[in-house]
Amino acid sequence: MSKMSRREFLSSLLAGMGAIAVDQVLIACGVKPNLEVPTATNVPPTSVPSQPSTPTSTTVSPTKSTSKTSVPTPVQSETALSPSATPPGMPDLVVARGGEPEDLVRRALAALGGIEKFVPKGAKVIVKPNICVAYHTYEYAATTNPWVVGALVKMCLEAGASSVQVMDYGFGGTPQEAYTISGIAEQVKAAGGEMAYMPGFKYITTEIPNGVDLKKSDIFEDILKADVLIDVPIAKHHGEARLTLGMKNWMGVIRNRSAIHQNLGQRIADLNTLIRPKLTVVDAVRILMANGPTGGDLNDVKKLDTVIASPDIVAADSYATTLFGMKPDDIDYIRIGAAMGLGRSDLGSLKIEEI
Amino acid sequence: MTNETQASVKQITKIKRWTGRPAGRWITARKVTQYLALLVFVVLFIWSRRGGLPSNLVNTPMRLDPLAVLTHLLANRTFLAGSALALITIALTLVFGRAWCGWLCPLGTVLDIVSPKHWREKKRVDPPETWRSVKYSLLLVILVAALFGNLTLLILDPLTILIRTLTTSIWPALDQIIIAIETTLYRIPILAGPISNFDMAIRPKILPSEPLFFRDTLLFAAVFVGVIALNFIAPRFWCRYLCPLGGMLGMLSKLSLFRRQVGEECKGCTLCTNVCPTGTINPTKGYASDPSECTMCLDCLETCPRSLIVFNPGLSLAEWNDYDPNRRQALASFGAAIAAVALFRSNMLAKRDTPYLVRPPGARENNLMSKCIRCAECMRTCPTSALQPSVMEAGIEGLWTPVLIPRLGYCDYACNACGQVCPVQAIPPLSLDDKRTQVIGKAYINQNRCIAWSDHRDCLVCEEMCPIPEKAIWLEKTEFKRVDGTLVTVQLPQVMRERCIGCGICEYKCPVNGEAAIRVYVPETQVPF
Repeated sequence: MSKMSRREFLSSLLAGMGAIAVDQVLIACGVKPNLEVPTATNVPPTSVPSQPSTPTSTTVSPTKSTSKTSVPTPVQSETALSPSATPPGMPDLVVARGGEPEDLVRRALAALGGIEKFVPKGAKVIVKPNICVAYHTYEYAATTNPWVVGALVKMCLEAGASSVQVMDYGFGGTPQEAYTISGIAEQVKAAGGEMAYMPGFKYITTEIPNGVDLKKSDIFEDILKADVLIDVPIAKHHGEARLTLGMKNWMGVIRNRSAIHQNLGQRIADLNTLIRPKLTVVDAVRILMANGPTGGDLNDVKKLDTVIASPDIVAADSYATTLFGMKPDDIDYIRIGAAMGLGRSDLGSLKIEEI
Repeated sequence: MTNETQASVKQITKIKRWTGRPAGRWITARKVTQYLALLVFVVLFIWSRRGGLPSNLVNTPMRLDPLAVLTHLLANRTFLAGSALALITIALTLVFGRAWCGWLCPLGTVLDIVSPKHWREKKRVDPPETWRSVKYSLLLVILVAALFGNLTLLILDPLTILIRTLTTSIWPALDQIIIAIETTLYRIPILAGPISNFDMAIRPKILPSEPLFFRDTLLFAAVFVGVIALNFIAPRFWCRYLCPLGGMLGMLSKLSLFRRQVGEECKGCTLCTNVCPTGTINPTKGYASDPSECTMCLDCLETCPRSLIVFNPGLSLAEWNDYDPNRRQALASFGAAIAAVALFRSNMLAKRDTPYLVRPPGARENNLMSKCIRCAECMRTCPTSALQPSVMEAGIEGLWTPVLIPRLGYCDYACNACGQVCPVQAIPPLSLDDKRTQVIGKAYINQNRCIAWSDHRDCLVCEEMCPIPEKAIWLEKTEFKRVDGTLVTVQLPQVMRERCIGCGICEYKCPVNGEAAIRVYVPETQVPF
């Protein structure tokens, strides 16, 4: 190898640094990375039988979207983030009770028509549990049950997913600690999935076109790019929001969270206009009744051995409130989310299958 | 000089050029050892983060340091079993002199690497020999001060300098450079995948998953650059004139077994004098050297064209030089140390702590100031970089001892790493359960700044973050009348002081700009000083 003189080395180093500097300036000047982020829909994800069968024109859907078949659904697009509709005969929401966590997930998904309905072959899947702190093991119900997460990873791979990543960015302790202590890393690896970290440079400032209060946020890019998102929150108490469930779980994919804590209910709903999981599985194997979201006292934990699954995130969250003796409207983000058309909270008219 | 000698001198001078010269076996062995030692040091440094190598392995370098171990012993009159490792260094010195400095010390190796090349080729003018006594003065002051329970000047120990600089300056800056490169290249579509994979490979194993922030990064870098810059006055300036550890090993080397000897056939070609990095080969004394200054680098051994230099074992006390400590210097150092300690004791900080002097978990009760060897291992291992070098909080006496700055990081409820990694148990090695109940401070709400208290808007981030199982913050619903006459119900956070352990996550996460609306203050003193 020929030797590089010092002058040559320095000049090439300077050129490289200059290029980086110019690039940073360009980024700062608003040359945005070209990301094809599907726009959110502001219509209910599940089918509403009483509505007329014409697709509404309010939807802004990317060019590739095609109108799907028989079911009268307000919007059908095959883009990554819009949830799929429930075919006739299928329940809107399934509650599985009693048994081992993995068994509960499998039964719930079977009743919803199988995981294949949500995870096409070759899809890149991201499963997003709640791994908010590194403080306690799963028994304390501060983090999602590892076997529930593991079961979903396994089933996605069985359905032919090309990759299944599991991630969260908590607030207490480092992510790697939290992944390990929660037990989720172990079960995900055993199931064949991958625990992914969320480096700062992969957060992209993204417009939230349908946001009412939150118009812009820095969102983890892989979440926006994934073919299928599966939301796996644990149902637990939370001081400000009262409960943290599926919709609030998406706070784990944004960086600037202190900006969201004012007018929390509206801003969580706004975030949910952009991030649309195809499936929400609420882990209520153990729920945290008080002193959430961090927990730490087993007396606050109630073992229910329950899993709630639905393609409609608002419906899943709505049902979960009943486990705490609350009504869906007691939780700001559910009430606002339902009003914004993100899903349905009228438990009375939902088709719920309890198994 | 004969023609033959001149020819061989020329030849050797040519060989001695640093670029591409074939070094002899001894020099090669020394350099390999030096680079390996530096590598081991850096590897131990990298994996002294929480979740890396076992904590009693990563602090081995500090426990090998006889200056840190001896001063800690003098200041505390307690011997820690792990510190017996320093006996290895002492034994090594008694056999081979200051071989630690020439072969092992990572700072010495760094100084060799950045040494200006021309030193080895030209005749040079060295500073006066008397400067060498500075390191002995420092050593004496450190030892006497340690006897009175003060370890402030251990900030000058070469290992603490290196660990502190790596922790607070070099690594965070390197991380920022890599983040900038990653951020830039990630925007190029074809590179996004590889960059993502690269990041996954290096984080959190080598670089932290979150960037770390330290105060006064520039100051620590400047100290380090200063030590290196002195190299341009004379090679290994630091080791010759200033290093207190070098002084200590130099004193021990007066007794060392293997000594450099020059054969009588020496013609005085001065090659060895010029090549010696510590400038201790004295032409006026028959090219003899001072074992207290010689780092056993063996450059002279392989430079000598007539191979007259030998390192033979022999038992004798080395000659006492003008610059070696004498009675006057010893008395002056003694006086200076006592005066300094007395002044520190009469300083106001000895009576009242500054309000934000929050120490690592369990440290306060153990008189951190007289135990801490200023090695910065705790700051390195802290996963949130909550532990920062103290600059003002603990006064000059406590300079660069660890202090917890909650606005920069919080004490992770799942972590007890600092106590585990501390080589001298200045931070007690608490179990995780014990650490979780260890009070390090107490949080107080500033009602004038709190969003809930002063703006009457719901916030509650502090309550959400509080890791105490039963929560140390409680919320009281209160009705307020707004300016426009409307009534609002706001939940006001209040600290239940008896539950608060002062971990500082509330202060860290408080969304109020600048100074947080909830701050952790130093706890009440639990054991009288």
